[in-house]
Amino acid sequence: MIVCVAHNIISPLGSTSAENYAAVKSGMSALKKYDGLWGLPEPFVASLLDRNAYKDERYTIDEQIVIASISKALENTNIDTKSSKVLFILSTTKGNVFLLDKNENGYPQDRVRLGMMAREVTKHFGNPNEPIVVSNACISGVCAQIEAMRYLESGEYNYVIVCGVDVQSAFIVSGFQSFKALSPDECKPFDAHRCGLNLGDAAATIIYTKKDKVNDNEWVACRGAIRNDANHISGPSRVGEGSFRALRIALGDLNPEKLAFINAHGTATPYNDEMESIAIERAGLAGVPVNSLKGYYGHTMGAAGVLETIISMQAVNDHNILGTRGFETLGVTHPLDVSNQNRATEKRAFIKLLSGFGGCNAALLMAKGGLK
Amino acid sequence: MMKHSVIITPEHVLVDGNPLMHNEKGSALLTELYRNHIGDYPKFFKMDTLSKLGFIASELLLNIEGDRDFEPREDRAVIFFNRSASLQADTHYQSTIQDPEHFFPSPAAFVYTLPNIVTGEIAIRNKYFGETSFMVIDDYDEQIIMKNLKNAFQDPITKSIIGGWVECSDEEHFEAKIFLMEK
Amino acid sequence: MDELIYTLKQQIIEALNLEDMKPEDIDENASLFGEGLGLDSIDALELIVMMEKNYGIKLQDPAKGKEIFKSVAVMADFIAKNRTK
Repeated sequence: MIVCVAHNIISPLGSTSAENYAAVKSGMSALKKYDGLWGLPEPFVASLLDRNAYKDERYTIDEQIVIASISKALENTNIDTKSSKVLFILSTTKGNVFLLDKNENGYPQDRVRLGMMAREVTKHFGNPNEPIVVSNACISGVCAQIEAMRYLESGEYNYVIVCGVDVQSAFIVSGFQSFKALSPDECKPFDAHRCGLNLGDAAATIIYTKKDKVNDNEWVACRGAIRNDANHISGPSRVGEGSFRALRIALGDLNPEKLAFINAHGTATPYNDEMESIAIERAGLAGVPVNSLKGYYGHTMGAAGVLETIISMQAVNDHNILGTRGFETLGVTHPLDVSNQNRATEKRAFIKLLSGFGGCNAALLMAKGGLK
Repeated sequence: MMKHSVIITPEHVLVDGNPLMHNEKGSALLTELYRNHIGDYPKFFKMDTLSKLGFIASELLLNIEGDRDFEPREDRAVIFFNRSASLQADTHYQSTIQDPEHFFPSPAAFVYTLPNIVTGEIAIRNKYFGETSFMVIDDYDEQIIMKNLKNAFQDPITKSIIGGWVECSDEEHFEAKIFLMEK
Repeated sequence: MDELIYTLKQQIIEALNLEDMKPEDIDENASLFGEGLGLDSIDALELIVMMEKNYGIKLQDPAKGKEIFKSVAVMADFIAKNRTK
C-alpha cells in the first residue's frame, strides 16, 4: 500500500500543515483585493505570500518555498534525501515563468525551464536522481501523486517526495483576466452567484512510501486516475465526461457511503462547478458531501492537488467536513450536498477531484488505515 | 511493446525509421506536413508550435496504424515529455503583455502556455477519453521515459499509449520522437 | 460602412488565424459562431481583445459579446457606434 509518511503546506495561512488546517477550520482566508499590483491595469483578488519575506538571492521565490516546504516535511522523518532510492517529483504549471519578463534580471534565464528549477531543488537536497516535473495544468498536483504511487508500486524507489508549487505573477493573472475567468470579489464555489476564480500562492509537500501493512492512523493513497474530456482545450465537458470517468475509477468497488466527502476542484467559475456537479451525479456520488477550499486559498494551480489532499486528510483526522467558504445558495443544476459550515463525520475516506485546461481531469481516493 | 514510431526534426521526418519526403524545413515543414498528410483540421493553424508538432507527429503515427474510425475510446493514453515545457507559447504570450503602452493579453496565446494542451488536442482529435499527461525533464533520457510509460500501464483501463518526447524551444527549433506502445 | 466591414474581416482572419480564408469568403450576414464560421469560446475572447486593440472598445461582460459577434455586419455596426479610435 502507498502510505503518506509526512507532509507540509506553506501558504499565506501558515508554514506548517497544522497551522494551515487550523486557519481553514476557523474560516480564515488570505484572499485580498490588489489594485495596481505588478503594473496590472485591472484589480484582482488573490491569496499572496509576502514577497519581502523571501530574500535568499540564490533561489527564486518558487524555489525558496519548495525547499522550505520539503525541508519541513522531512523534519520528523529519517529519510536520506542523498539516497538514489528517493525520487523528487515537482508539480507546477508555470514555475519561474516571471523570468520571461524583460525587467527581471536577478536570476539566470535557464531557470525558467521547469527541469532546471527542479534540479536546483534536488541539488539543494543532494539527491542524485533526475527530478520529474509534472506540468498537467490545474490537475498537476493529483497527477504527481499518481506518478508517485506508480513509481513506488514498481519498486524502484523507497520514497517519493511530491511537491506542488505555483507563485502568482503578472503573466498568470493577466492571462486569467484575458479569459474573463477571475472573480472581481472573493470566489463563491458552487454558489448561484459565482462569477469566477481567485488565484493563490502556495507550496505543498507529501512524502509517500510503500508498506505491506498499515496501522489505523496511516493515510493510504488507494487509487487514482487521469482522464480527458476529449471536448475542448479551455472549456470543460458539458457532460463531465473526463471527471466522471476519473471518479468512477477512483471510487472502484468502494461503497460511496464510506466517503466522508469529495473535495472538489470547485474553482467557482460557472462552467467548472456545473461540470463537477454533473460528473459527481453520473458517478452515483450525489449523496456524498462536497466541499471546495478555493475560498480559503484561491486556486493554487500546481500546488492545489497536493495542498487540498493534505487539508482533507487533516479534516478527516479531526472528524470534520470543512465548510465551503464563499458558498451560500446552491447554483448548479445537479443537486450537491454543499455547506458553508464545518460538519462532523466519522468516515475515514475521501476523493480529491480536479480538472484543468487541456480537458484533463483527475481523481484520487485517500483512505485512513486503508480500505478494509 | 513498441509498435510504430515517428521522428520529426526541423530537417528530417522518419516514419517507422523510413524517411518521409518533404521540401520545407523548420516551421514551414510542419505546415507542409499538415497540407500533405492531414488537410482537414483548420484548428491546426491556431495551435502553438508544440501542439502543431505533437499533433502532426501523432497523425503520422496513427496513419500507419490505419483503421482511423475516430470512435470514442478510453483505453489509449497520451503521455509526453520534454525539456522546454511551453516556452515558445510562453514567450509569445509574454510579448502581448510586455509593453505597458500596448498591453493586450491574448487569451488564444495564453491557453497554449500549458504544455499539456498538446495532449488535449490529440485527445480531442481522436476522441480519447483516456489518460493525458505531460512531464518535464531537463534532458532527453530514454530510460526515464520508457520506465514512466511502462508504469502508466498500471492504470486499470490503459492498453496502449501514444508517448515520447515532444520538444520545442521556439518556432524553428523542435524535435518529436514519439511512438505507439501496447501493453 | 463597406470599408469597415472589409477591414474587420481582414482583422478577424488575422486575429483568429483563419488560414486559407480571404475577406471575400466571409459572408458579413452569416453567423460567426456555431454553423457559419464555426468559431468557439476562445475566439470570442480573442475578438474582445481585437476590438479593444483596434477600436478602443472595452467589453467587460463577455456575455455581451454574444449579441455583438452575431455577424460581421452586426459587429461593424457596434464598432461604428462605439469606437474611440
